[in-house]
Amino acid sequence: MSIYLKSMNKMIYKLICVSALIAFNTIAQDEYSAEPFKIHGFVAQGAIDVDGSNFVNNDGELSLELTEIGLNTSYKFTNDFRFAAQAVYLNGGNRYNEGLRVDYFLVDWNAYSSDKWQANLFVGRIKNTHWLHSSTRDIPFARPSIILPQGAYFDGFRDIAVGGDGAALKLTYNNDEYGEFDFNFSRGRSPINSDDAEVILSELAQGSIEHNLDSQASVYWRPVFSQWKFGLTLLDSEFNYEEESLDFFVDGRFVFQFYTMNAMYEGENWEFTTELLQTRFLTEGFYAPQFSQDNLGQGASFQARYKVDQKLTLISRYDLFYADRDDKKGQELEKRSYGVVPSYFGYQHDAMLGFSYDFSDNFRVNAEYHWVEGAARLNPIVLPNALVNNQERWEMWAVQLMYWF
Amino acid sequence: MVLVMLFGSPAIHAVEVITNITAETASITTTQLRRIYSMRQVRWANGVPITIFVLSSTSTTHQKFCKETLRLFPYQLDRIWDKLTFSGMGVGPTLVTSEKELIKAVKSTTGAIGYIENIDEVSDVNLLKIDE
Repeated sequence: MSIYLKSMNKMIYKLICVSALIAFNTIAQDEYSAEPFKIHGFVAQGAIDVDGSNFVNNDGELSLELTEIGLNTSYKFTNDFRFAAQAVYLNGGNRYNEGLRVDYFLVDWNAYSSDKWQANLFVGRIKNTHWLHSSTRDIPFARPSIILPQGAYFDGFRDIAVGGDGAALKLTYNNDEYGEFDFNFSRGRSPINSDDAEVILSELAQGSIEHNLDSQASVYWRPVFSQWKFGLTLLDSEFNYEEESLDFFVDGRFVFQFYTMNAMYEGENWEFTTELLQTRFLTEGFYAPQFSQDNLGQGASFQARYKVDQKLTLISRYDLFYADRDDKKGQELEKRSYGVVPSYFGYQHDAMLGFSYDFSDNFRVNAEYHWVEGAARLNPIVLPNALVNNQERWEMWAVQLMYWF
Repeated sequence: MVLVMLFGSPAIHAVEVITNITAETASITTTQLRRIYSMRQVRWANGVPITIFVLSSTSTTHQKFCKETLRLFPYQLDRIWDKLTFSGMGVGPTLVTSEKELIKAVKSTTGAIGYIENIDEVSDVNLLKIDE
C-alpha cells in the first residue's frame, strides 16, 4: 500500500510540475518586452542502467529514475533590488532523495555598479556558485553530461553542496589589460532531513545530522580576449550527529573541507576542462565515543568536448578520486575494517564517452557510457554497503531527453 | 533624436550595434560590449540600466555578432546566461524572434541594446561606432 501511495505521490508531483511548466512556458513566450518579471524552466526524463553497483538502484534493473524538472522566476522591484526563486523536482534513485526542493529563494541587492566593478549581495536560500558546475549540477542542458564527475560532484552530497540558507557576496572586476575577475564569498547552512542522513550515513543511522554555518570562497580569472578561464575554490563545513535512543551510532562531529583548482579552454570546436580537488574529512565519535579519523582525499577530472557541428557534440572524460591520498589502493581501509569494507571502497575512477544532440534551440538528447573502477562515491558513504557493491568494476549507460525555456 | 545614417544597401552587411537613445553614447569598445553581453556591466555611463535584446543563438546574425564583434562563441554566452538564470544570481537577456522585433524592442525600451545585420529603414535609435 505504501509503495502504491509513494508511486502515486511521484506521479502527482510530476503532473503538477509539468502542468506548471506548460502554463509558465506560455507566459514566458508571450512578450518580448523587458518586463521585470521573468520565468524559466526545464524538464528532463531519461533512462539509466547500472550494472554492478547500487549507484541508482539495488536490483540492477533499467531505471527511469532520471527525472529533473525545474521552474524559476525573477522579479526586479527596482533597478537595485531583485527577487529570485527556483523549485526543482528530482528523482535520481539512490543518488539523492526523490522529491521537491526549493533550490534558491533570495533577494539580490546590486550594491555597486560601474563599468569596471559590480558588487551584489544575496540573502536567503543561496545556490552554490563556487565550483565549475555546482550551480548547474541539476540543470540538465547547462551541465556537460548527465552524470557529473563524482569526485567533485558526488550526488550523495548534492543537497548539502548545492547551497544553503545564508548570504553571498559577488564582486566582479573588469580590467582592459588583465581581464575579468570574479570574487565570491558565502556563508550558509544546508537544511538536512532524516532521509538525507540515511542516504549519506547509513540506513542504520537513527539520529539527526545538523549542518553548522559553512564558509565558501572562490576566485575566477579570464585573461583579456582569452579562451582560457581559471578558478580556485575553498569550502569549510562542519556537521554534528546527535544519536537517538537505541541508535547504532553515537554522537559525532564531521569536518569537511574541500579545495579545487580548475582550468577551462573554450575554443570554437574543442573544449577542455580540468578540475583538481583535495578534501579533508575529519570524523570524531560517531562510530564510537573515542573514534577519530582525519583523511585527506584527492581527485582530478579531465574532460574534452568536440563540437562536430551546431547540433552534435562529443564528450570524453576521465575522473579519478582517492578517499585517502595516503591509502590510494584502499588496503588500510580494508585492514582497519577487518575486511568488512573491501579495498576498492578507497577509490573511484570513471572513464566516460558520450554525446549530445540538439534537435532545436531548447530540445536536446544526451547519452553516455561509463566504465567505473572502485566504489568510494557510492551511497551510503559513511558506512559503505559492501553486500550490494560487491564488484570493483561496474558500468552504466544513460540517455536523457531535455526541454527548457 | 538621433537618426541612423544610411549609406545605400550593400550586398553584405556587417552586424551593427544599436541602442535606445537614452543610452546617450555614440561609440563603444569591443571589451565594453563583451562586458555588457556577459552581464558584467549593467548600467550605461549616465546611470541608465542596460536591457539586452538578443536573437536566437542559432541565428546567423547572432553567430556573426558573437564571433566577429564580441570575439566569443555563441555557446560561451549561452553558458554565462544559463548559469545566471538558473542559479538566481542574475538575469539573462531578452530573446526576440526577428531583427524587426529587435529594432522595435530597442526603440521602445529605455537603455536597450541590440544588434542587427540589416540597417535599412532603421531610425530613432543610436547606431554605435565600435572601437577596438
